[in-house]
Amino acid sequence: MSQFEPDLHSEIAALRRPAAEVMRLARMGCSHPTRLSFLRILLRRMKSDGWQVDRPVWDVDTAGVGYAVYRAHCGPRIYSLVAFAHDLPDEMRSDRVIATAWDATFTLFDGDPSPDDIMRLGANVPLQEAGRISNRELTLARANRSVRLFNHVVQALSEGRQPDPQEISAVGYLMRSTAVYGSGKFGAADRADIAARPELAAPFQVEMLTVWLIRAFTTDIVEHMAAVQGGDRAVRLDPDLRRMLGVGNSTGLGMAPFIVRHPVLLNNWIMAREDALARVRMLADVTPDAMVRLRFILDATIQNATAWKSDHPVQLPKLQDLRRDLQLIFEKFSTWPTQQHRPWDALWRWGMDALSYEGQEALLALMLEPHGDLVDDLSDLMGANEAATFRLDGAMTVRELRSILAEHYGWALAIDFTAPENVARFWYVSEEKLEPRLGERASEEGAPLEQPLCIARLVSELHATLQDHNDDEPVAALLLAHPEHRYVVRRVQITQNHPYAEVCDNLIAADMLPIDLLRCKLAFFGASRFDPRSDRWVRINLFQGAPYPDEIGQSDQQ
Amino acid sequence: MSEPLDQTRGDTLPLINDAQSTSLSCNEVSALCMKAARGAGMSWGLAEEAGFAAAWLVQRGFDGPEHLYRHLAQAQGRSWQDLCPTVKSGDWQAPAGRAICPIALGATLCDYAALPEGVGVGCEIKIGPVDYPVLLLPFLVTCAETASLQLTLSWDGGSACLARDRTALVDAFKALDGRQASLTLTAQFGTVAPAITSAAPQTDSDTITALNAMAMRTTVPASEASRAGAGSTTTDND
Repeated sequence: MSQFEPDLHSEIAALRRPAAEVMRLARMGCSHPTRLSFLRILLRRMKSDGWQVDRPVWDVDTAGVGYAVYRAHCGPRIYSLVAFAHDLPDEMRSDRVIATAWDATFTLFDGDPSPDDIMRLGANVPLQEAGRISNRELTLARANRSVRLFNHVVQALSEGRQPDPQEISAVGYLMRSTAVYGSGKFGAADRADIAARPELAAPFQVEMLTVWLIRAFTTDIVEHMAAVQGGDRAVRLDPDLRRMLGVGNSTGLGMAPFIVRHPVLLNNWIMAREDALARVRMLADVTPDAMVRLRFILDATIQNATAWKSDHPVQLPKLQDLRRDLQLIFEKFSTWPTQQHRPWDALWRWGMDALSYEGQEALLALMLEPHGDLVDDLSDLMGANEAATFRLDGAMTVRELRSILAEHYGWALAIDFTAPENVARFWYVSEEKLEPRLGERASEEGAPLEQPLCIARLVSELHATLQDHNDDEPVAALLLAHPEHRYVVRRVQITQNHPYAEVCDNLIAADMLPIDLLRCKLAFFGASRFDPRSDRWVRINLFQGAPYPDEIGQSDQQ
Repeated sequence: MSEPLDQTRGDTLPLINDAQSTSLSCNEVSALCMKAARGAGMSWGLAEEAGFAAAWLVQRGFDGPEHLYRHLAQAQGRSWQDLCPTVKSGDWQAPAGRAICPIALGATLCDYAALPEGVGVGCEIKIGPVDYPVLLLPFLVTCAETASLQLTLSWDGGSACLARDRTALVDAFKALDGRQASLTLTAQFGTVAPAITSAAPQTDSDTITALNAMAMRTTVPASEASRAGAGSTTTDND
């Protein structure tokens, strides 16, 4: 950070938005992808490190069944996507995590797979959760076709013409992934085994690489099927149309508990974003380059908001807010006095008054965009060594514990948990499908088996217990008497040094919307076109507009 | 659905039953053992400690899940008062007529590490008896690392010095691989060798199945309401 003297760091810290402002569900549910999003981090590294991608194996038959290997060469290492293409009957196509068959299944192999590796993977990867992978594999994933667009594109290409750009824009992807598992799931390599590799140090890089290579597979397979149908008449997909295609993703409740279960990781994501915003607000001037870039990105953002479709009653008014706010930002740029003291800070303060949450979070993403040199290094701080914060501080006194509650958990202690609407839901794991679900406490069985995601209530219970304990008593003694508080005391101690560790809202309230949690996480992934299908189920698009393997050097989204 | 290849479950571990044994990732060990410990009656926070201990052992080549299962199988149903130590300076007693849970003991030893009653240079603490004392190792080594201590455990008929050195750890592991022991813990300043990890051990499929059965007690049987709320409200075949 050459731009900042050390004594300015405290000023940056002072400009960070407080947790009470940014960690509310209503605002988290308006999160936008930024240049610190995980897929952007991957794309930048691929470009700066000169990654090369090849496809040494394409063994797919005329029915579209077979397998392929995509190798990403990055410095000393190779990561290979092994893709299996299947012939799936329409009636079996489901986005649920509990589906039993897919149009395509994938694994990211750590290295260059041998024929024996591929044989082993072919016997397991198509089974997904029912198979078993090894520590040579980094992810396990699957995807289903967008039947409408897939068929349209194959048909057009097979007849020697390009598909309809409006159709491509309306759907945005040829295939939709329904799960990308990493981090030791189903026998895969543990995160700890690979976290020290520079290219994988940022969060979710193997998952993002998997999805990016899946995107290449989706366009290859439509061209393959078009060639099967059309023979010599078939043409390849126009590169500009191809760019408009991302990979869809369909995600349900299963993803929501993640950010609650990983408080240090959540803190580090938010902290990086908030520091980036603070650094930009500190800047003394607006360079001509930044202004050009800002207008370019605003145009793209407006286009994206125009093309962004959703029929969901929660998302519709948000989209209206966003489109209106982007117009206000557009108008603001022509009157924004860039010669004033700290012009970016003035712009931000204007936005806080003039814009909805949607507009404010979009403005944040816009303000970071021209300032890669200033903020991109913050991506190095977004990972987390969770083992380092696992151990409790047993010597901390009850007095100190109370003080942390007072400083960081006022929002939780203010909730009345005797009111039915504040305990209306409970999170649980389904015996039938082993997936997280949300139940209605008043009408559904199972509340005694509630998962500990009701952080506010756990904090409230801890606070009540502390009333009976002496100020000087150590936490070690408290927990010996009350082992039931061990889980929440660990979190409270983490929050002392990680101010963005907690979602500052009641996660079991009657009016809580799980899609708010999903949107925050997906925005950090870099997802666009957030389209809720219910209050707990959402579709998004990843890598739309990004380069393909043969275009890595051409990235304008870097 | 419950065919042998039921792919409709969000977890793979229930399906490891036709194999003799398999090696699990640390993430799987930690998640499975945490859920099993919760299913066996531990609080969530203590269950996390059980997951930590099992994964720590697996990282060093020991079959943590197997040892945890043996302990949970005999300890489940006992109340906290029948499992936790009474902490006094130099004397960490088990409940009358009982043995201490090694997870509760280990976590409490770590909690007290910086307090007068805890493990410190020159201490001599009588502990026990404790069940499956092997499960104490992850906690004791953590204490030793944090405070640069060399810990010695002794018992009727033997002793073991804990360093992060692999040989010392294997010796300690073998010596403590029993049902129950009363221990004396002493500590002096000590240098610590670099951490050594080892290939994951094979865990018997019967152990995985048994832990999974305990883990399943944390889950809620399906109802029409829960099935209805779980997915998209629109078609996926588009």
